[in-house]
Amino acid sequence: MNRSPRIEALLRGEKVDRVPLHGNSTGFTNRNCGHTIASAYNDPEKSFHSSLQTAEQYGWDLVPQVFAHTLLGGWDFGGEVKFPESEYQGALSISRFPATTEEEVWNLQLPDPKTAGGIPYAMEYAKLQVSHGLPAIFFPRSAFCMAANICGTQQFCKWMLKKPQLCEHLLRMSMEHTFNVLQYWVDTFGAENIVIYMSSPSESNQIISPKQFERFALPYHVEFHHRMREFPIHAFGLHICGEQNLNLPYLSTVDLCMHPCIISIGHEVEPETAAGYFPGDIIYGNINPAIIQTGTPQQVYDETRAILEKGKRIPTGFIFAPGCELPPMSPPFNVYQMTKAVNDYGWY
Amino acid sequence: MSSTRVFDLLQGKHVDRVPLYHFLIGFCARNVGYTIADMYADPIKSYQAQAWTFEQYGIDGGPDYGYASYGGWEFGGEVKMPEGEWQQAPSHVTFPVNTLDDLDSLTLPDVTTAGSLPLAMEFSKLQQQNGDLITVILGGNFSVAGNICPPSMLCRWMLKRPDDAHKLLRIASDHIIDVVRYWADTFGADNVVPNLWEPVAANDIISPRQFEQFVLPYIKETNERILAMGVKHILYHICGEQNANLPLWAQIPMGDPGLVTFGHQVTLTKAVEYFGDSCVILGNVSPALVQTGTPQQVYQACRSAILEAKDAPRGFMLMSGCELPPMASPYNVYMMKKAIEDFGYY
Amino acid sequence: MATTERTAEILQGLHDAVVDFEEDDTVALAHAAIDEGVDAYNAIMNGLARGMETVGDLYARQEYFVPELLLCADALYAALDILRPHLQIEAQAEPRKIILGVVEGDIHDIGKNLVKVMFDAAGWEVIDLVADVKIERFAEEQKRTGAQVVGISALMTTSMLAMPKIIKMVKDGDPNVRVLVGGAPINSDIAATYGADGYADNAGEAVAAAQIMVARA
Repeated sequence: MNRSPRIEALLRGEKVDRVPLHGNSTGFTNRNCGHTIASAYNDPEKSFHSSLQTAEQYGWDLVPQVFAHTLLGGWDFGGEVKFPESEYQGALSISRFPATTEEEVWNLQLPDPKTAGGIPYAMEYAKLQVSHGLPAIFFPRSAFCMAANICGTQQFCKWMLKKPQLCEHLLRMSMEHTFNVLQYWVDTFGAENIVIYMSSPSESNQIISPKQFERFALPYHVEFHHRMREFPIHAFGLHICGEQNLNLPYLSTVDLCMHPCIISIGHEVEPETAAGYFPGDIIYGNINPAIIQTGTPQQVYDETRAILEKGKRIPTGFIFAPGCELPPMSPPFNVYQMTKAVNDYGWY
Repeated sequence: MSSTRVFDLLQGKHVDRVPLYHFLIGFCARNVGYTIADMYADPIKSYQAQAWTFEQYGIDGGPDYGYASYGGWEFGGEVKMPEGEWQQAPSHVTFPVNTLDDLDSLTLPDVTTAGSLPLAMEFSKLQQQNGDLITVILGGNFSVAGNICPPSMLCRWMLKRPDDAHKLLRIASDHIIDVVRYWADTFGADNVVPNLWEPVAANDIISPRQFEQFVLPYIKETNERILAMGVKHILYHICGEQNANLPLWAQIPMGDPGLVTFGHQVTLTKAVEYFGDSCVILGNVSPALVQTGTPQQVYQACRSAILEAKDAPRGFMLMSGCELPPMASPYNVYMMKKAIEDFGYY
Repeated sequence: MATTERTAEILQGLHDAVVDFEEDDTVALAHAAIDEGVDAYNAIMNGLARGMETVGDLYARQEYFVPELLLCADALYAALDILRPHLQIEAQAEPRKIILGVVEGDIHDIGKNLVKVMFDAAGWEVIDLVADVKIERFAEEQKRTGAQVVGISALMTTSMLAMPKIIKMVKDGDPNVRVLVGGAPINSDIAATYGADGYADNAGEAVAAAQIMVARA
């Protein structure tokens, strides 16, 4: 099994012949292979093979190979989850948050890093990856996102203004849990075989202000990367999800644990803007997933081309991908348009 | 999307590899985000969905328009377009003939306005504009008859009222001739390839003796008349379990070459044995396998089919044995192309 | 009976307390309004609702974000719950009604909740179906309540697929009902394709969009 040669080359700081193409997909790949969206969350075997097969069919590069989040605050800390069932459910959802009152927050215990939530599924998936010559994915949310997921984003938002100490406690618990589980991954696979791909949707400016980002999210990004220096992982990617333009000036001050890392952006952030804030890193993105689902094939093709033309100008490298998870219900022909456009316009 | 290999085979030219021929309709709709009903009610969307899907999967040949219940609507019955997740194609709501009186008053419809034919004609004009094979899809004589009245009624008449069965079959046959003549007059007979689907004549329903009495004479005569118009090639979809009918089918002229398609029930070896000298053979991957099998199973089935039939004297095209299920896993469909790439080259 | 000046002071106080998300203050001022004979409708519309308009402006200018909006909403509702029972029936016209819900399969309701606040503040009667609402329920509730507007929210690309079906059900029931859609993956083009009558990019725009739709009906 080859790791993705183009992405590996970019990570080594080398030039490539063509922009790599990543599917950023879990639900779609499972459906593509005749499975349900739920398989993306509770069937590592099906999900892993679906990922390989769909990548082969569409010519995608495999790294980072995405499964469900390794860590999910609401699930890991004792909440209840619901797996997607109906045709309108695209992802796992939290049906009961573990800590919605002050008392519950102060009484929270750190979960077992090996058995909590979906960690066993994620470990099974990571073992499949390594057995096939791929790096093991470790896919956490940021501390802020995990903390908000423990009590619900709405409650977290209110506490940020009224009871920040509760938020600080949740953030601290989230950070410690992340590193406990990471240690489990390191002990199992060795740091050099791990790819970390972190996402941060709750930090979007569609929810919080840049000042709130600076106070509650930024310190934990700083701490994360500081502590990561003791783990010489293979690659790091950060999915800066949603509208985060106002956060970028703050986020760019973080001394990232390695360079180049992969900076993944949504359609709300221009590739050149991201490259300006992260000049030493590879930019990843960023076609609007809604266009893939609802646009015409020509729109997808044209939008891909337009993004490629911007991305190819980034000197440290560019990976083309959807700006967030590829919608599971995307018409396959639209998904094919991305492959087609990359093959037509992605060459250097 | 390319029809070049298909045209080349029909002209007796060498092709570089086994073509991957198409029998997927609802699957194309899902592939591009249209409804399955669009494939039957909207010729432009139907054409587009198929053309795009064929491009994506490297399928040879051009889009087609047709459905298995052909005949009911055209003779004055009512059909329902597919809806919901369990419906794949137009289906009967009412049959035009439910009694002997209905049969007595049955007349040939105006082929320019009947049922789906205006939509089919609009579709064939798209085929012409795009340089595709111009096809017209109808049932075979027995299947058209079995769509004008309920198939169970036709079966009963065969045994109890054979004259009435023959009467209906005569009407069905004349109708097929009318339609093909309309297409031939519009596009030139040598440009038209009638596609005739004959599932109701399968041995799951009738015996070879009944086939000999009620199917063979009509199909043979109809095909002779079609070829006499100047049509060069007829495609017959010999659907389902028809092994016992094969010696009879082999008596029917299909053109030079004809095209005959088979389901997984008929081995390709046998198909080549009966038809290989006169027809391009198409088939025979089980649609159910493509829907429910593993990718490896699909790949192996395609490999077997290719290796079994690729050297058929007049050529072979890999195809599913009947319409690919709309819900077939896309990766499994991709396996068909992969098998062609790995084993289909000459 | 409060003087004109005192009434203005209370109304301004309610406005400011909403904007500053001071729930204790809105509660105290609501009680004061009742005790001192300030008309409840006046207190709601020219105190609380006006405050929420200011909040909407602050949100549009990106000075306020979701946390502030949520707390402003809490402050508003705390006072509204006190004032509403004291509304004089004849003082208000029949309120316009809107049904709000997040589609089946989707539980992300922050946006919808903020839209709810805006409509409550603007004097609409809101029938909140909450989240993960079965698609048939929108039309059923519209028929039951006679709501003039149905508002549908979806955050996910899978759940947005339910919107065209819901819109058709609603319109089949009554073609005069107006449908407003919103949510992260939606835009005005998609809304039009789906058959919606209006689209709101954020909570602040939702009430204005609904009022335009209803005026056009």
